[in-house]
Amino acid sequence: MPEVTVNNLRKEFGDNTVLHDNTFTIKDGEFFTLLGPSGCGKSTTLNCIAGLEEPTGGSITVGGTTFVDTSKHVFLPPEERNLGMVFQSYALWPHMTIERNLALPLRIRKIPKDKQRTMIGEALEKVGLSELSGRYPHQLSGGQQQRVALARALVYSPTVLLLDEPLSNLDAKLREQARAWLKRLQEDLGITTVYVTHDQDEALALSDRIAVLSGGHLLQVDDPHSIYESPAAPEVAAFVGRCNFFEGTVAETARGRHAVRLGCVDQVVEVASPTTATVGSTVTIALRPERLEVVPAGTETDGVNRLDTEVLSSAYVGSHYEYDVRLGDQVVQVESNRPGLTGRVQLVFDPEHALLYAQKVEQSADERELLTVDH
Amino acid sequence: MATMTRPAAEPQRTDSEPEFRPPKYRRPFGVGRDTVVQYAVLLVIALFVLAPIVPTLIQSVRSEPLYEDGGVFTLDGYVHLFTDAGFGTVVWNTLLFATLTTLLSLLIAVPMAVVVVRTKLPFGRFFALTMQWPFFISSLILGFGWIIMYGPAGFVSTQFRELFGGVPWNLYSIPGMAITEAVALAPIAYVFCANALRQSDASLESAAQVCGAGPFRILTQVVIPMLRPPMVYSSILVFSMSVETLSVPLLYGQPVDIDVFSTFLYRNGLQSVNPDYSVLGAASVVILAVTISLVAVQAKLLKDAQRFVSVRGKATRPRMLDLGWLKWVSITAITFYVVFGALVPILGLVFRSFTLIFTPLRNPFDFLTTDNYATITRYDSYVQSIWNSLIVAGVGSVVVSILAVFAVMVARRSTFRFGRLTEYLALVPQSIPGIIIGIGFFWAFAYAPFGLGDVLPGTIAALVIAFGLRALPSAFGSIAPSVMQIGTELDNAARVSGADWVMTFFRVLRVLITPAFAGSLVLCFVIMLKEYSPAVFLSSADNNILGTTMLELWAQGSTGAVAALATIQIVITATFVALAGLLMKGKHHA
Repeated sequence: MPEVTVNNLRKEFGDNTVLHDNTFTIKDGEFFTLLGPSGCGKSTTLNCIAGLEEPTGGSITVGGTTFVDTSKHVFLPPEERNLGMVFQSYALWPHMTIERNLALPLRIRKIPKDKQRTMIGEALEKVGLSELSGRYPHQLSGGQQQRVALARALVYSPTVLLLDEPLSNLDAKLREQARAWLKRLQEDLGITTVYVTHDQDEALALSDRIAVLSGGHLLQVDDPHSIYESPAAPEVAAFVGRCNFFEGTVAETARGRHAVRLGCVDQVVEVASPTTATVGSTVTIALRPERLEVVPAGTETDGVNRLDTEVLSSAYVGSHYEYDVRLGDQVVQVESNRPGLTGRVQLVFDPEHALLYAQKVEQSADERELLTVDH
Repeated sequence: MATMTRPAAEPQRTDSEPEFRPPKYRRPFGVGRDTVVQYAVLLVIALFVLAPIVPTLIQSVRSEPLYEDGGVFTLDGYVHLFTDAGFGTVVWNTLLFATLTTLLSLLIAVPMAVVVVRTKLPFGRFFALTMQWPFFISSLILGFGWIIMYGPAGFVSTQFRELFGGVPWNLYSIPGMAITEAVALAPIAYVFCANALRQSDASLESAAQVCGAGPFRILTQVVIPMLRPPMVYSSILVFSMSVETLSVPLLYGQPVDIDVFSTFLYRNGLQSVNPDYSVLGAASVVILAVTISLVAVQAKLLKDAQRFVSVRGKATRPRMLDLGWLKWVSITAITFYVVFGALVPILGLVFRSFTLIFTPLRNPFDFLTTDNYATITRYDSYVQSIWNSLIVAGVGSVVVSILAVFAVMVARRSTFRFGRLTEYLALVPQSIPGIIIGIGFFWAFAYAPFGLGDVLPGTIAALVIAFGLRALPSAFGSIAPSVMQIGTELDNAARVSGADWVMTFFRVLRVLITPAFAGSLVLCFVIMLKEYSPAVFLSSADNNILGTTMLELWAQGSTGAVAALATIQIVITATFVALAGLLMKGKHHA
């Protein structure tokens, strides 16, 4: 089984650069996810691997075969790459039965008729749809179509499986079940899989490793746990899960613990982080809502970071409560199990849970307005 | 283009499962069959589009006819054209005729589109359908019908003169031509405006209504201002079509010596004893420059405007406004247009084919006859012209639709670097006047290789080529949207599964575009059956078609025989469209 090596992949449309020299390697048998907001270049990356788009620069090699290398003018067309791909719309050929949909790639490969039948049978077996081979795509439900599309992509034993948001057309409940099923299937087959999604839950649940893209830049490639717990950049923290950001100045620093004076309330908090910070420099602290806690004012707690604040609004969302609290002119989102807090409260967090970044966070105008309140 | 280097196959897979190896396509000298097919399509289209244009350009600067040796470079053609050929009057007449036609057709089309699409109108759908009539009837036939009814000796004119002692109109004048042409071209402007109205967001009107605006205010303040873009495009289109049209100016203008661009070419090229080909070439080049720039401007405007239109996936049915008593005025106006513009002349023409004398002074029912049809069947060449028309339309529609399918595939469904160029070339013929296509091919055959130049002229094949070129933009325009509706992921799925571009077309897309192909067949058949203007320069005794035979008979004064042929042409068109409709409906349900 092969390894996918992507080297300095660059794609330009006219003056617009959508991929900025990204380099990464997908290991043999790995479930690898390209995650990012729409327009971040994740689908373009996938299409470059598939050969549906020709990169402007860089190279892609799969298990010793060069798919594309712009410096050597090598470009292998998609039909000769032997990949399997599932599209967002499933792209089942509407005028063919399920069986003929699966047979086409086999016929192209000149596989004998009887062998074709066994292979189609096996592939449909894998996705649990053996009895539907005579149906037309429009006679199937969305979930069944998605599984047929997967069977069609797998029937000729491709070297790598490419999945372009295959679950996004399913409704929410079915999506979660399909996700678990897909994970089991991929583990059973052990096929190298590249998965594109903008859904962070999907990426975290399915992947062995995740590549987070933003604006055509590769921000971080890591396993789901590291992506969530130690995001390499504020953008990653903001995109994967929710996150509050505070600007501040470093007041003191010693042995991985930093005292930071917050810009919004002029109070000092303690943060534990391996990031090196010099005294006096501006930094950004990132805190996830579920790592924050609110307690009624006056409650005795043993944490070091206690900030006086007040509740702006609260919402009950079933599994927990969501509070918007005020810190200076900034709105802070908190997830909590404590019901019914109002008025003056204390915001508490563990120094280990805070993330520290040397760079500033670029917020959109909408976000800035919604997360700012008057004094 | 990147040259293909064959990457080494992966060894470990080769031993274990040889049948799983990815498909290989042969690429001699690094050129695959995809590329070969794409270049072939581009070359074929370029050849046919340039064939009539290039010789015309060359002829305009040569002293002798192209088919004769010894010509030298000269600009005399252009000098003659602008100094002493009476071309100034021709330019002025054309300008007047085209401007009047454009204004009149907008005057008919815009109010009609608004009331039909946006107001509660009894029989609204019926009126919308009747606007398709010019699809079935050529402007040549319409011209005949108008002359028979409203001409100086026409049925209606004579009756009017009997009742009121005189007629206030004169059909054989530039305004007369413009009215007829406007009646024929108004449906084009109507379609542009009606589509824009259907696509526009109905909530804009609801918003105005909520603010307290009445129906009339909504129409004048919200709906009509939104129509400005379609009015601009359709007026440019109508203008360029009236610049190139031959029928009405020929029928009305010849008797009273009013010349426009097309009749100027017709007279100088066909009727003059010793035609000056360099003047003819120069005039063609000038006219070509005008029509091509008009269409280019229109295409540019249309492209710019589409960037601002947000066509939403959700189909909102616009709310219908109620105009009150005004709706009866609208109905009367529309009925007047349909009845007196199209119905009366056409029915008059059909009736004329069954009678010997057609005037209100004598009861035409006393002279009922089938003699007019007998005249046609008596002469083999007349019967042959009906067959010729059917063959040209039948063969031509298949050839053109196939070519158009390939052109659309290359232009819209491939990564071919000259895809855009292919599309532009396929659309260029819509801006070449039919008569210039005729003249151009007439000269082009002088250059044709392999002795084709001696074989092609005067054959049906020549007409298939010339008419086909005229129909190509329509075929492209009818296939392209249907192809664009087929998701590109279907192609991509086939490509990734191992099919190259050619195989993707034959295995997947071919079946899916069959309905679009059938639609294009019907469209091209009807267009090519009506067509005649390129044939006036390419016809001989052997390849006369309905249109040229009718013109010939008209010149001889055999009005009854013309009416009979016109009726036959209308019947063929209607039968064909009805049969095609039935067939496609049956297919659709299967």
